[in-house]
Amino acid sequence: MMRQNQALQFVKANATLIALVALTLALALADPTFHTARNLSNVARQVTIVGIIAVGMTMVILIAGIDLSVGSVVGVAAVVVTLLMQYGLTAWIAVPVTLVMVGGVIGLWNGFWIARYHIPPFIITLGMLTIARGVALTLSGGSSVPVADPSFANLGGGYIPPLPTLVILAISAVLYVTVLVRRLGDGRKSGGRGNAASGVVAGSGFALAVYVFGSGDGLPVPVAIFVIIAAAAIFVLGHTRFGRRLYALGGNEEAARLSGINVSRTKVIVYVIVSLLAALSGILLASRLNGASPNLGTMFELDAIAAVVIGGTSLAGGSGTIGGTIIGALIIGVLNNGMSLLGVSSFYQLIIKGLIISLAVWFDVLQKKK
Amino acid sequence: MPEVVLRMEHIVKEFPGVKALDNVNFEARAGEILALVGENGAGKSTLMKVLGGVWPYPTYRGDIFIKGERRRFYNTSEAEESGVAIIYQEFNLIPELTVAENIFLDRQPTNRLGAIDWQKLNSDTQALLDELGIGDLKPADQVKHITVGKQQMVEIAKALSKRAGILVLDEPTSALTDKEVADLFRIIRKLKQDGVCMCYISHKMEEIKEIADRVVVLRDGQTIGDVTPIADIGLDQIIARMVGRDIKDMFPRSARQRGEKILEVRNLELDHPDIPSEKRVKKASFSAYRGEILGLAGLMGSGRTELVSAIFGAFPQATHGEVLIEGTRVEIRSPLDAIEHGIALLTEDRKALGLFMGQSVAFNTTIASLQTISSRLGVIDAGRERALVAKYVAELGVKTPGIDAMVGTLSGGNQQKVILGRWLNAHPKIFILDEPTRGIDIGAKVEIYKLLDRLAGEGVAVIIISSELPEVLGMSDRILVMREGAIAAEFARETATREAIMEVATGARRTGE
Repeated sequence: MMRQNQALQFVKANATLIALVALTLALALADPTFHTARNLSNVARQVTIVGIIAVGMTMVILIAGIDLSVGSVVGVAAVVVTLLMQYGLTAWIAVPVTLVMVGGVIGLWNGFWIARYHIPPFIITLGMLTIARGVALTLSGGSSVPVADPSFANLGGGYIPPLPTLVILAISAVLYVTVLVRRLGDGRKSGGRGNAASGVVAGSGFALAVYVFGSGDGLPVPVAIFVIIAAAAIFVLGHTRFGRRLYALGGNEEAARLSGINVSRTKVIVYVIVSLLAALSGILLASRLNGASPNLGTMFELDAIAAVVIGGTSLAGGSGTIGGTIIGALIIGVLNNGMSLLGVSSFYQLIIKGLIISLAVWFDVLQKKK
Repeated sequence: MPEVVLRMEHIVKEFPGVKALDNVNFEARAGEILALVGENGAGKSTLMKVLGGVWPYPTYRGDIFIKGERRRFYNTSEAEESGVAIIYQEFNLIPELTVAENIFLDRQPTNRLGAIDWQKLNSDTQALLDELGIGDLKPADQVKHITVGKQQMVEIAKALSKRAGILVLDEPTSALTDKEVADLFRIIRKLKQDGVCMCYISHKMEEIKEIADRVVVLRDGQTIGDVTPIADIGLDQIIARMVGRDIKDMFPRSARQRGEKILEVRNLELDHPDIPSEKRVKKASFSAYRGEILGLAGLMGSGRTELVSAIFGAFPQATHGEVLIEGTRVEIRSPLDAIEHGIALLTEDRKALGLFMGQSVAFNTTIASLQTISSRLGVIDAGRERALVAKYVAELGVKTPGIDAMVGTLSGGNQQKVILGRWLNAHPKIFILDEPTRGIDIGAKVEIYKLLDRLAGEGVAVIIISSELPEVLGMSDRILVMREGAIAAEFARETATREAIMEVATGARRTGE
């Protein structure tokens, strides 16, 4: 009885992860090409573009905000970075300049209005969605911009070869085990079972990574960038003052203010982070496509929000994790890929995706009720 | 002897891991006011939720008899149909609608076309209000524009419009002014004459003595002793039943020594948020000293909360005047500034302004002083946090399953202790507490009093706002009385009396402005 309860608890707490595993297994059985290393590597690369944005979106939603402008920021960043190279800048200069000029400025703009004048984030970022798209169209004259610096292609299309990848994975695994052991040493009784479970998950993750990236071309650069960003975000949310402030702000803004949290500054930082990540995502996309179209990133905001919500972050703010968002992004990515492989019409794909988002929110509501 | 209209027998209600009610037995008669008292977490609210059908049959065990008939409520409307009406602490009114619309919500009289018959709606409401003797309330008033006290009357009118024979009032006076309390009591007495059976849940002993006919005590989910006529039992006996032990020295007082002046406020003014010409705080000047407990008395709405919030930097745009700390003038533009200057403010409204309900005890304890558990770069040391929180949990006697437990699952008193821990960890020089014991049980109250006494003994300047006069009188070394946004009088401990304070607070006695 007791054991059954615990099992049920475990299933409830990890429902999205279990759904992802089930989905993956089902697709592996249904289509022989799905579980090839090449295809899975492809899935990973596709997931990173929206995944990077979703990491920032998690923080925004965590403080009970929303950013609808990220898709347009992707477009502007792609256009700006390619244009800068057209003007003769090298990729090494064009990329950071774009991050600051596009991501930084748009993030500051959004954050300023939200923090200083309490404009609802939904409205101000909806406005920016239109503005930024207009800027992308204007700058590019409505047509695609080709990439002038050939080295730029390595960013989104390059690979870390298999051997170095295996070395990196081995080092990460050792680091992970060290952290786990140290945590157990801290004598946190409550975490014991959870640590064991997360150990199993991480172990499978490492094994899968070795299988997917340890052969063939190796580890795609954007995937490596995504992993670094996600790991940094997990650390920031779980282990820093800044992370605590986000949870506090989203849980009860007034109480957060009265607890001495600089609410305005925190909000501005969060909106800058999400814009920077969206700009980075746009740069990676332009690099992979070897050119920028002003319409890049259209509707990405919805995919990013969907990943965050499927990952269990509450739209009301105050609760959610990056881990959940990654799982959410993977579910969307695996689903897209699997349905395409199985020849499901793209029209049906939209319907199925929508249903899954609704289902995820319903499940979340059910759990909260309990 | 009037008929027994409500009897609850052997009521048991279990939640996973807790027995919230463990064999509750009592009865109440028509035309009587039965006081139901007990510490927070004793099970009063759970009991009323069983009666009201919020916890439907068969999620509890035992029997409910209404007018001698056994009833099993499967939902709240069945309870309502049997004449049970419950007025919870948090009102269920819709602020945007009028008094009449709220009273007859979903039962509005309609004409033949099915549209609302506004005339009848308003005249029915007026009749109801007249019957209750609430003259100054209009059926067409919007609920958001009337005072909390009036809103309570609307709740009562709503219950009576459903012809409730059993009326449960859960802490009805916790947000009312003295005048509103008097109005409420007048209505309750009238209902009593009409034969309504009322269960009156309250923490306030004096009120119970004044209004109740009989009293029954709940402790740890059990009824302690029988239903006892109020005339046959002393307050000390009621308290003894509630806490299961005698409370001696309710207000502890170690040898406190007033030290140097630490806070001086000069001509502080706070603009009214809506009316430009009005001030919420008017030219307030006072000082606080190390090692002293300063009481801030006054009626609800007299500007006490606004005064301390303004000092704390909560309304930087609207605040004017000077604040000096240790003799130096300081600019406090935000709560963060205030905290850095050694000020802590425990807010009046725990839920809305204090707690992060979805977060753990540990999170709630350390949120205002994260620098004490993190490196200069902002990385939190989990081990240090756990040790620190465990220390405060032990020191303050927080009853919690663990420091990772969600703070929302704790009782009111324990939640308050968590917030106290939060501010203790900020090591304030000036600790302001706004209604620190509201809605918490007597045992926890006494523990908080002891803590404040200890802090003052250690040289902290403690400023305490309280609407309970015995508390202000018992704890303070000096008392400021506020009226209509201004500090109207100051009393030394020796000269302060309830009467003197009330006279100033209500404006019955004018003092030099």
